[in-house]
Amino acid sequence: MHIPDGFVNAPTALATGAVSLGAVTLALRRAGRNLGERTVPLLGVTAAFVFAAQMLNFPVAAGTSGHFLGAVLAAVLIGPWAAVVVMTVVLAVQAVGMADGGITALGANVFNMAVVAGLGGYLAFRVLKAVLPRSMTGYFAAVAASSWLSVVVSAAVVSLELAASGTVPLSVSLAAMTSVHMIIGLGEALITSTVLAAVLASRPDLVSSPPADAATRHGTGGPAGSPFGRRGRPAGFVLGAVVVALALAVLVAPFASSAPDGLERVAADKGFGQAAREPIWRFSPLTEYSLPGIADERLATSLAGLLGVVALLGVILLVGRAFGRSRPRVARPDTAPGLHPMAGHEHTDHRHSGHTHRHHVHVTDAPGTGPDPDHLHEEPPGPAR
Amino acid sequence: MSGAHHFLTEAQYGDSLVHRLDPRVKIMGLMGLTVVSVSTPADAVWAFASYLGVLLFLLGLSRLPLVLVLRRVALVLPFILMVAVFLPFFGRAGGGGYNVGSVRISGAGLLVLWNVTAKATVGVTAMTLLASTTSFPELVAGLERLRTPRLFTLIVSFMYRYSFLFVEEFRRMRRAMEARNFQGRWLWQAGIVGHMVSSLFLRSYQRGERVYLAMVSRGYDGSMRASAPLALRRADAAFITGLATVLLAVRITA
Repeated sequence: MHIPDGFVNAPTALATGAVSLGAVTLALRRAGRNLGERTVPLLGVTAAFVFAAQMLNFPVAAGTSGHFLGAVLAAVLIGPWAAVVVMTVVLAVQAVGMADGGITALGANVFNMAVVAGLGGYLAFRVLKAVLPRSMTGYFAAVAASSWLSVVVSAAVVSLELAASGTVPLSVSLAAMTSVHMIIGLGEALITSTVLAAVLASRPDLVSSPPADAATRHGTGGPAGSPFGRRGRPAGFVLGAVVVALALAVLVAPFASSAPDGLERVAADKGFGQAAREPIWRFSPLTEYSLPGIADERLATSLAGLLGVVALLGVILLVGRAFGRSRPRVARPDTAPGLHPMAGHEHTDHRHSGHTHRHHVHVTDAPGTGPDPDHLHEEPPGPAR
Repeated sequence: MSGAHHFLTEAQYGDSLVHRLDPRVKIMGLMGLTVVSVSTPADAVWAFASYLGVLLFLLGLSRLPLVLVLRRVALVLPFILMVAVFLPFFGRAGGGGYNVGSVRISGAGLLVLWNVTAKATVGVTAMTLLASTTSFPELVAGLERLRTPRLFTLIVSFMYRYSFLFVEEFRRMRRAMEARNFQGRWLWQAGIVGHMVSSLFLRSYQRGERVYLAMVSRGYDGSMRASAPLALRRADAAFITGLATVLLAVRITA
């Protein structure tokens, strides 16, 4: 999603750059104001983490892969303003140090991935969190939905910018970008929820927007005695789900209606109607957002949109439930399947007294990864020590 | 932690005239070149040739391997391909065209493709040259002297230090993962990738926290002390004036 040099023209670069500059200035002021002793390293670590995690490609359908964005994760972990600063740092380092994303497109990239995905995603998260039931399920549903949204919306904004610059016509790029990123967004939602669940389980003090009940047990990470998260109240949950569906429908509907229209118009203009029957992004089950066998195009479009929303809702509810429920289990140190709550000071002793890294082994014991043989060896010294 | 920290430390290769330039003039000069190149109209083909010529001259002077730049340019390829795929769609408002088989490729579409390819290549080459001839601490010091906000450079320098830990940890996990035949090919395996990512975060955070507290207890007050303060020399002045003259001349005549 990193736009290189030359893909956005001067007006677009200047406009997005101005908005980004304003947002980052404000963010620096806001984040700098409450900068505690430990906040600087937390910001640095989050930046390094987002930087490293963006190198981690996860698979999408049909052989393509997307990378983790991390904007919503950063916003929930360290707050929206600090997240804007961190994402900007990451993007600037990628542009200067790795030539990933152009210098002249830095404003646009910051706008897409720090402002839209970070601030916008956090806004979506807060709205959803307020609307959804105050349970762990509701919390993780809000996390999952907003991180999904952050990816899809910033992909849509990328195609808007490319279209405004006259690089790629909107009619084709919007559908292609958003449909691919709707799938990438699922990976983003899963990873964001997993990471948050793990951090909440072992170091809840690091999360700036914790779920409602975690606030009362700040920093303990002990067994969850909370009434939340066991069984969400059905009525409240359904209400919340409907609101999510509406919010999604509002966002999905424009793509659903505009994409085929735009394509058909271009097709008619250029006289390649035949070719347009087989658009290249035809791997989505609801291609062109219409259903076969329904004559009325509008009805078909909205039905297809509805189906898509229901499917997404299902995924988000599943994610929310899974993490909402798994949390009390994870929080107990003796039976933890995922992460061991590690206290930093304890941890130091192990390393310096030359023990084998018992804590490390526990940490790697997450399902699917297993204990790492390398951790049984002495760790080589790193530059940061 | 031997070797393979290729992702940010290519600066350590070699020593040359370009390496020894002040980071400030390199940042200003190479970013300036990119900006000027992006602002050049697409049909001034020779202007892009001269930008690239200047960059190749500097590259030769710095004795960096060309492969390095080519690898970075390859990163931009997906974006360029994305534009190329849409070639036939462009240029409804005339502008010549060519027939390849049954597909009509519009001239305006080709111009857009040339535009993004040339500008992206110049941008990538300039930034690779900057990053490969300037060490990261130098780069941060240069940015700081160019009045980048303090919090920003502070986070950048912390990020730089921690990213080694992250990459090293990540590499270990990946090796363990591959040893167990997990490849992470499907979407539903994203959950496992998520577990990896979260233990990566927690481990590295706790370690970073200890390191920071150790630094604070030894008197760290938020400023990095450079071993030698930055000072502009005659070579720096020559570099920046020479580059500015060439850029101005090319841009005005383009």
